[in-house]
Amino acid sequence: MRHTKRAVAAALLTTVAIAMVGCSAGGGGSDAAYCEPADGDVNLTFTSWIPGIEDAVAIWNADNPDIQVEVQTGPSGNAGTYQNFFNQLEAGNAPDLGQIEYDALPNFRVQDGLENLAACEDIVAAEDQFLPWTWSQASLGTDDELYGVPQDQGPMGLFYRSDLFEQNGIPVPTTWDEYKAAAEQIRALGGYITNFSQTDINQFAGFVWQAGGQWFQNDGDEWTVDLTSEESTKVAEYWQDLIANDLVSTYPAWTDEWNNAYNSGEVWTWNSAVWGANSILSGAPDTAGNWSVALAPQWEAGGETAGNWGGSSVAVFKGTEHLYEAAKFALWLNTSEEALTSLNQTAQIYPATTAGLELPVLKEGVDFYGGQKIYDVFAEAATQVSPDFTWGPTMTQTYADVSDGFKAAASGDGTLVDALTKGQASTISTLEAQSIPVAE
Amino acid sequence: MTAPVTTTGASAAPRTSAGPSPAPRPRRRVQHPGAIIAFVAPFGLLYLLFYVVPIGYAIYQSLLVVEREGTFGEATEVFGGLTQYALVFQNEPFWTSVGRVLAFGVVQVPIMLGLALLFALLLDSPLLRGKKFFRLAFFVPYAVPGVIAAIMWGFLFSPNLSPFQELTRNVDFLGADLVLWSIANVVTWVFVGYNMLIIYSSLLAIPAEIYEAAVLDGAGQGRIAWSIKIPLVRPALILTAIFSIIGTLQLLAEPQVFRSFSSAVTSTYTPNMTIYATSSIPNVNLAAAFSVVLALATFILSFTFLRITRKKAEA
Repeated sequence: MRHTKRAVAAALLTTVAIAMVGCSAGGGGSDAAYCEPADGDVNLTFTSWIPGIEDAVAIWNADNPDIQVEVQTGPSGNAGTYQNFFNQLEAGNAPDLGQIEYDALPNFRVQDGLENLAACEDIVAAEDQFLPWTWSQASLGTDDELYGVPQDQGPMGLFYRSDLFEQNGIPVPTTWDEYKAAAEQIRALGGYITNFSQTDINQFAGFVWQAGGQWFQNDGDEWTVDLTSEESTKVAEYWQDLIANDLVSTYPAWTDEWNNAYNSGEVWTWNSAVWGANSILSGAPDTAGNWSVALAPQWEAGGETAGNWGGSSVAVFKGTEHLYEAAKFALWLNTSEEALTSLNQTAQIYPATTAGLELPVLKEGVDFYGGQKIYDVFAEAATQVSPDFTWGPTMTQTYADVSDGFKAAASGDGTLVDALTKGQASTISTLEAQSIPVAE
Repeated sequence: MTAPVTTTGASAAPRTSAGPSPAPRPRRRVQHPGAIIAFVAPFGLLYLLFYVVPIGYAIYQSLLVVEREGTFGEATEVFGGLTQYALVFQNEPFWTSVGRVLAFGVVQVPIMLGLALLFALLLDSPLLRGKKFFRLAFFVPYAVPGVIAAIMWGFLFSPNLSPFQELTRNVDFLGADLVLWSIANVVTWVFVGYNMLIIYSSLLAIPAEIYEAAVLDGAGQGRIAWSIKIPLVRPALILTAIFSIIGTLQLLAEPQVFRSFSSAVTSTYTPNMTIYATSSIPNVNLAAAFSVVLALATFILSFTFLRITRKKAEA
């Protein structure tokens, strides 16, 4: 009996050891000095969640018989694809290319999952085609590194029900003070000026971004976590005040209830990014023609600042054997007019290149917005986004923890500032748990 | 992680009913060893590959810590002993969530099993008509996938979308005070029929002579149910209780779905949600340590329950 037990244990350990060797072997990967074309044909895999991206890839495949790209689609990043990427990296079978939002790039970088595209000359030479702040998001603030080719951006503006504002003689707010004043008038009429989302922490980060705040800083030696910076606290107190006075609704965002609140005209405005134009269209179809877009309300009258919400890049994962071809494809996908036009048609992608913002399709009026040329507004906002905003290396966790606190605050338990304070502490302990150096 | 616990619970439960075990049989030479190996090997191999190895790997992962230099320094995994376990025991949200599911289990499991027993007794009673219909009707919710059931109930509880707005606008089923019990309602709805069926099949196995004897002694249906049926289905009740305890500790799908309906369900609402959130960071080592601790806790709880019920049976 003893012997069999021991034999089983030995067999077990061997199996486990084999499994572990198999897992760790995939990790490696040499330095960036190999961005050179391969001999012969190349097949690349690319995982993305952009609807209809297959169309753009089909154009590439038709023109490049020697570099064929296979697209796999999945749910959006934080809804599961990032976790798949991390698992695939751990297992050593990640795709060659992947869709990664700017706020998640540091997370993949800290897990050592990304190739440095600055090794590829063509990519470096393309820097001046992109809006500087999008490039800076993908270079993680460095001068000689790049971890994704910027694809799109989410400059924020104010979507508002122009019909309701006009009928009730309420001026469209241009500052956050005016926004609160309008909120009181609208509440008196039985509506809400907007819905405060407890789950879109990246929207809240966009507000902080606009206010000139920072959540993270990286000096190379250690991270500074500053969720409770002066600007961040100012923004939190502003929204806390609106919540406490019942001037904003607090439906869970992206649900049927939330759509219903917009579709029924109960909620009048949405501080959202350029891609939000499509969300309103699909979520509140009964309000067609009644919406307009303005620049975001400012903290100082006459200010010219905008926040950003979302935007993603196409990154090349560690372990690829075809950095050159992958980078070439990523650059084409995000700079060529044919690809950008296709992406805009299928998914309303708003390009990160200066030339892309001049696409004919972005110069037209949009019926849902009463024929307004809404992209002109966002093109202006895009130039007002600060290039300095830095994302932390564990944003999925930071978002989840701050969101837990925001949800509690929305139901009257604590405040938004409390939520940020807790998120600050839990982010620091998450970093420490993985030995990521952090300044106390 | 459930499987070993489950199989142990399942095989251990019927043993309680066997009473004093029969005298050990004389040893016989094993016949057809080749055939036995051929039949056991497929199971053994799959069990090894999909249970033993992953569990071993998780335990191994939980003993590692990550080291790195600089903000984006390359990570190296080194042996860290019980470092991750120390973090687990310091993690307040995790232990809060354990307390939450225990409270959930203490209330929900007896209610669910009570209902399952009641339904099973009704189905077994000669007084009820339309048995086939009711047996199916009670069982149908179990055929609805848990996620779908949670979405459906989420809509029913919602203050603005529910067809019963008179009620849901006045009672906040999705608020911090009630949402746990709303989830309990979903779980009960799904699993009553399943547990009922296990108890009912156990009732069908009771020999008819016992009933005849009881009737001859002048026992009515109520008396038969209380004094004969319930004591005889005890093993089935213990089995379903253990399944339910395990299920409670591993709650994931229902609360995860309720997150889109209720702001009171946090990302660390149940132990499994904490594990899921930790693995998304990704911090696989800490997530592995959480999993191991949860598996041990489930194991201990199931066995404590078994021990207590067995002692009672012997007393």
